[in-house]
Amino acid sequence: MRMKQLSVLIIILAVAMVATVYEGRSVAEEEMVGGGEIIYSKPVKAVLFSHKSHAAMGLDCNACHDKLFQMEALSAQNKPDFTMKGLYDKKYCGSCHAKDGMAFASDTQCARCHIGTKGFNKASKQAKK
Amino acid sequence: MILKKINIEGLKREDPEIIPSLERRDFLKLGLLITGVFAGGSILSATSIVGKAFASGREFSEKYPYKPHYSMVVHQDRCIDCELCMTACVKTNNVPSYGYRTQVLEREDRKAVERTREFIPVLCNQCNNPPCVLGCPTKATYKSPANGIVMMESKKCIGCKTCMAACPYNARYFNEETRAVDKCDFCFNSRLSKGEKLTACAAACPAKARIFGDLSDAGSEVFRTVHNLEKTVWVLRPEAGAKPNVFYTKG
Repeated sequence: MRMKQLSVLIIILAVAMVATVYEGRSVAEEEMVGGGEIIYSKPVKAVLFSHKSHAAMGLDCNACHDKLFQMEALSAQNKPDFTMKGLYDKKYCGSCHAKDGMAFASDTQCARCHIGTKGFNKASKQAKK
Repeated sequence: MILKKINIEGLKREDPEIIPSLERRDFLKLGLLITGVFAGGSILSATSIVGKAFASGREFSEKYPYKPHYSMVVHQDRCIDCELCMTACVKTNNVPSYGYRTQVLEREDRKAVERTREFIPVLCNQCNNPPCVLGCPTKATYKSPANGIVMMESKKCIGCKTCMAACPYNARYFNEETRAVDKCDFCFNSRLSKGEKLTACAAACPAKARIFGDLSDAGSEVFRTVHNLEKTVWVLRPEAGAKPNVFYTKG
């Protein structure tokens, strides 16, 4: 009888542990696909790039790295041509986000990527938590 | 009472569909003449504008033939909330940290297709029928007869904040230092009166979201946008009846 109780307990514990591990992994995966969420703050505040949503479309790492973007996060925003003009010249995001590219053109839907100062402040508040 | 017999069959139809184009155009010209301004869109939107939203009746334009007639057109879809306009405004007009003369509002629509975010720059609408001026008991706030800007004479302000309550656009704040209500004056005191052509916010905008100009100049960009029938142009809260001089458009 005691043996039976013990084994039930063990099974419950094991299930709980597996669930925790599984949960933990899925949360981590959700937060970090590639380099996670990148928020550019130069030359204007602010632009959100989501690794997750881009990877979900089936793009793999070398679609953008290292040719369009270096692996180091935010390195692009220190370049002088990381501007809308640069994007229209098919640099960086503009390589795909162009009129004849595979994604919506850089001169459309401004606030889809631009999250603004409000978006930047919200994100940094969240990061602090 | 003798009623005249009406020949129903012989009556002319009067709905917009059958108004011949020449007549339509004359009508639109008339609208332009009367109001000075009408928005783009259908003949119906033009009629609604004459009386309600946009400019004022003939009386008003005869009484105040502003030259220049300062106005701003906001291209709402171009705003990215970089807030360079707000920074420039604060610096130019000594706006304290708790106050504002212009703001950028954010709207999120999660059900929207593709782009779900929208930013809306707001400022004093320099109304032709300003509720703040009507409400002010000391005439500290007044509409300039020269250029239509709604101004503040802060030494006359008693801080009753009636104007703040009256403003449909939430464009006023109480300045603790001057003990007076402060508001956007299209940078008249800080820039326009010194020969500058643009407000600080319009000059600072990297996305050309704020177009500033003279609505009485047919060659100006504001005139050409507001009077372009191909464009839909609107004002905020037209139901307030304040007849603003800040217009909004997209595209």
